Amino acid sequence: MKISYLLKLSTDNVRRRKGRTLLTLIGVVIGTCLIVVMISLGIALNQQYEQMLQNYGDLTKIEIYNRNFIGGRNNENAPPMLDDEMLKTIKNIPHVIAATPQYQAENMYAQIFSGKGDRYESYFDGYGMDPASLEAMGIKLSSGQYLTGEEILGKNKIPVLVGANLGYNFEDSRKSYKSGKRRVYPGQVDSKGNPVPPFVDIEHDKIILRMENGDENNRKVREYELVVVGVMESDYNAGYFTDSGIVMSISNMKHLEKEFQKISGSSQSSGVVIIGPHGPIKEKGNGYNHVYIKIDDVKNVESVEKQVKELGYKDIQSLTQVREEMQKQVRKQQFTLGGLAAVSLLVAALNIANTMTMAIYERTKEIGVMKVLGCELGKIRGMFLIESGTIGFLGGVVGVIISYFVSFIINNLQTIIRILGIGQNAGGMDEMGMGMGMGVDAAMGGASSIIPLWLVAGAILFATVIGLLSGMVPANKAVKISALEAIRRE
Amino acid sequence: MNPIVRVEHLRKVYRVGKEKVVALNDVSLDIMPGEVCCIVGASGSGKSTLLNQLAGLEKPTKGKVYIGKHEISAMNENELAKFRQAHLGFIFQSYNLLPNLTAVENVAMPLMFKGVSKKERNKLALAQLKRMGLAKRADHKPKEMSGGQQQRVGIARAFVLKPKVIFADEPTGNLDTKTTKQVLYSMLGMAKENGTTFVMVTHEKDLAGCADRVITILDGNVLSNILVDDETKAKNRAKMFEGVAADSVPDEPVAAQPENTSEVVPKTAAETAEKIKNTIINSEEKKQ
Repeated sequence: MKISYLLKLSTDNVRRRKGRTLLTLIGVVIGTCLIVVMISLGIALNQQYEQMLQNYGDLTKIEIYNRNFIGGRNNENAPPMLDDEMLKTIKNIPHVIAATPQYQAENMYAQIFSGKGDRYESYFDGYGMDPASLEAMGIKLSSGQYLTGEEILGKNKIPVLVGANLGYNFEDSRKSYKSGKRRVYPGQVDSKGNPVPPFVDIEHDKIILRMENGDENNRKVREYELVVVGVMESDYNAGYFTDSGIVMSISNMKHLEKEFQKISGSSQSSGVVIIGPHGPIKEKGNGYNHVYIKIDDVKNVESVEKQVKELGYKDIQSLTQVREEMQKQVRKQQFTLGGLAAVSLLVAALNIANTMTMAIYERTKEIGVMKVLGCELGKIRGMFLIESGTIGFLGGVVGVIISYFVSFIINNLQTIIRILGIGQNAGGMDEMGMGMGMGVDAAMGGASSIIPLWLVAGAILFATVIGLLSGMVPANKAVKISALEAIRRE
Repeated sequence: MNPIVRVEHLRKVYRVGKEKVVALNDVSLDIMPGEVCCIVGASGSGKSTLLNQLAGLEKPTKGKVYIGKHEISAMNENELAKFRQAHLGFIFQSYNLLPNLTAVENVAMPLMFKGVSKKERNKLALAQLKRMGLAKRADHKPKEMSGGQQQRVGIARAFVLKPKVIFADEPTGNLDTKTTKQVLYSMLGMAKENGTTFVMVTHEKDLAGCADRVITILDGNVLSNILVDDETKAKNRAKMFEGVAADSVPDEPVAAQPENTSEVVPKTAAETAEKIKNTIINSEEKKQ
């Protein structure tokens, strides 16, 4: 007896019991469809979160804050001094590639100038960073080279990296504030459509840093030349300063700060606690207010965080935490969705088993006759398994097709609502979408439901296997039917 | 000559609740190749149980059953299935045709189990149906046929593989007297033609009279095992098949009540026309 004959007998039976088979099939279709749609929602959700995180920044970078929220400085939980010594300790933690503050001198009045007679001016947005950390922190250069910290340029010359758009920060001091010509913006074009270059060519023009004490009667000035050794690519993942900031070594920054204190005649900023909205943000007496740490791999972030906490710094911010939190959320949602789908498929499986059991009761006599006429047991079993497997397979295929349809509707919900002209309900629909965790796409522009090929193949395979499994018990029962009793049955 | 069916001290006990019912006590018998053997006895005598044991449908409590050299009472289900496929045929009282297969498909079924190609098995099945006078009914479903026709499809199915032994359990039990004679005639004719050993259970004494061997069962024991002598046999058969022989096998027995007369009658007419060649006067008269 060939497989084709088994198939014929099975499909015969499927055809004969159209109504019942159809109902069973619908059960499988709904189950498959639910599972596919739910998983597709989960996949889309995960993808959106990943995209969102990529926009946030680097996952292997963590930021530690030299502060605690409870009680301020004198609290016993206060973190230890975060100075250069501590930086060294942190750098020695395994898997840490680099650690650096982005040190900004507070209350320092400084400006930068360029052009003939200091015609172009800008505020000074300077950061002191560990030269060895620059590349590791993800700062990329469009030209020049990184700082080494060992450049010898001569007196009052400071080597710096500058942001790609620093040139646009300069204003023309000879034009009035009302004049549109006082500034040039990135992307600005003239009447012929040609881009307008910034006033200052940061790579070639000389840039002067000037600090003043601001005292009219006793004016004191310090002047330095900023020598551009490299231009940073603008990349917010590496930090906003890469756009139009100025980066120098920590020691140079501290030197500038000290010099400014000399001319301004005070060390007023020293030891002062500046209270920000989230607690003390700068505590001069206790070293750097925050430090960035770069870790070699995402999987080591957690262990480094743990060790940093052991050093006494409890306030750590990392995207890994955010990501884990998000993934937990996604997983929770996926489990909920998947659970619902699984229940419905379980019901479908019971349905198949029931249909098959009924089919066996109806065909008991036929099975008996076939046995007496010399049909081998394996073939009887095969016949029922093919039948239940066919139901599973067909249900799976139809389910996947419907899933694509449902997925299309979900992805084009807004458009469909607009076309149907039920605008007033759109808000409600949107909220519903949010509730199901598929509202994120509005901002991200991604699809809410993604059905990859593996899901299609998996769903059909799964439905078929479910069919076969639920047919197993009835099929074995069919095999065990006593031929004698079966043929006597009317 | 060695017996084709050999039974040694067969015993079968059924348990009904706590009670033991002895269906077969101690049965030993031999059936020779090519014999037509009738097992007779009152109802409850154990004759059907004996047939089931012979055919391997049930396992005996004690004793052995051989068919040829094979001890079928020791085979497992799959071995039995293969053995039946190769050597045994069955005819049932209630025909037991698969309701959603046509006559020719029903006859071809044992061939399918054996793995014969579709073309080949349809050819063989059709030939077998023709021999039973049912060529015109080949594409009919069992429901569309009378009892006698259905049983003849059943007979065709049993003979299609040319088995060594055919077992029949009250094959005419559901048929009227006239159809019984025709069906019996078909069976015996086929058995003799193919040299098949034919073992039949019946409770009708006059049917048994046509057999080569009559085994009478009473209360689970063999009461008698008689080889009928040729003279008696010939006499009985002549009496039994009087009129039937000349008739060959008419396609539409009178007693049968077709479910759909308007459909069946024209076909019968066509078939009757064919039969005229065979000088079937009886049916001609009936028509008129």
